[in-house]
Amino acid sequence: MRNYIAFTKKELLESIRTYRLLIMLLVFLIFGIMSPLAAKMMPEILSASMPEGMTISLAEPTAIDSWTQFFKNISQMGLIVTIIIFSGVLGTELSKGTLINLLTKGLSRNTVILSKFTGMAIIWTISYAAAFIVTLGYTVYLFPNDEVSNLLFSVFCLWLFGMFLLAVLLSASTLIKNNYGALLISGAVIVVLKLCNIVPNLQNYNPLLLATDNVSLLTKTVEVSSLSDAAAISIICSAMLIIASILIFRKRQL
Amino acid sequence: MEILREYLPFLVPLIIAQLALGITAIVHVLKHPRYRFGNKPIWVLIVLFINIIGPVVYFVFGRGEDQ
Repeated sequence: MRNYIAFTKKELLESIRTYRLLIMLLVFLIFGIMSPLAAKMMPEILSASMPEGMTISLAEPTAIDSWTQFFKNISQMGLIVTIIIFSGVLGTELSKGTLINLLTKGLSRNTVILSKFTGMAIIWTISYAAAFIVTLGYTVYLFPNDEVSNLLFSVFCLWLFGMFLLAVLLSASTLIKNNYGALLISGAVIVVLKLCNIVPNLQNYNPLLLATDNVSLLTKTVEVSSLSDAAAISIICSAMLIIASILIFRKRQL
Repeated sequence: MEILREYLPFLVPLIIAQLALGITAIVHVLKHPRYRFGNKPIWVLIVLFINIIGPVVYFVFGRGEDQ
């Protein structure tokens, strides 16, 4: 347990020193500010880009538009940036060989994997929470009278999907030595999930649902209960992936 | 002007965040002249002109080892 805490601390310290935490925070803050701004400015941008004399009627932007932008930004660019930033989480230490000293001194390999995951999870949670709080503040400020339902659950779903992706990334980087390989596998997993979405019976169990149905949750076109299967599958898959990465990493030659 | 004043509470923090990201990256590019690939002018251009992704790519892929 003491090893686990110490190694997690080292992970967090490393994230600060390598600017990982700073970049994540700044990028997510930018998305957090940009989302309500884009929603608010959309009618003006559109009317400015229209040719002279042409008029279109646009509905007044609402809080839903702001959250639509938020979920679009985070589920695409936000997750891509997260995956890219954490792509070297295991690979760099293995290729530099800095981990070997610690492992020969008695640090267990389980601890390494668990600490790595905890470190990634903490940074992802902090950055995501920062983006959420900023967007929430601006949305309430800009659209004070709009009601949004299921907001917290919707935000939680995307967070869970992020955690699932981190678990995929971690297990991929235990399988492959190369940083780019881990990135590639994570990308491939997303593609496979998208392909699974074609099969109607699988759609309800697909973790991808957590990152695509957020806005429908807010407008109540999708019930909370319809996402519970996907959420359960994501949690189970993440746990299994972490256990698998521990097992693979134990056997692996460094 | 009216529009600009209305959006000032957004634009100021947005610009500060973008600048912070850009400046951290550009300072690092100039201070550490060893890169995994590419050279200084290329990284300066990438960091300055590719929004958000530029600095991220530099810190993840371009940064050389500190020694």
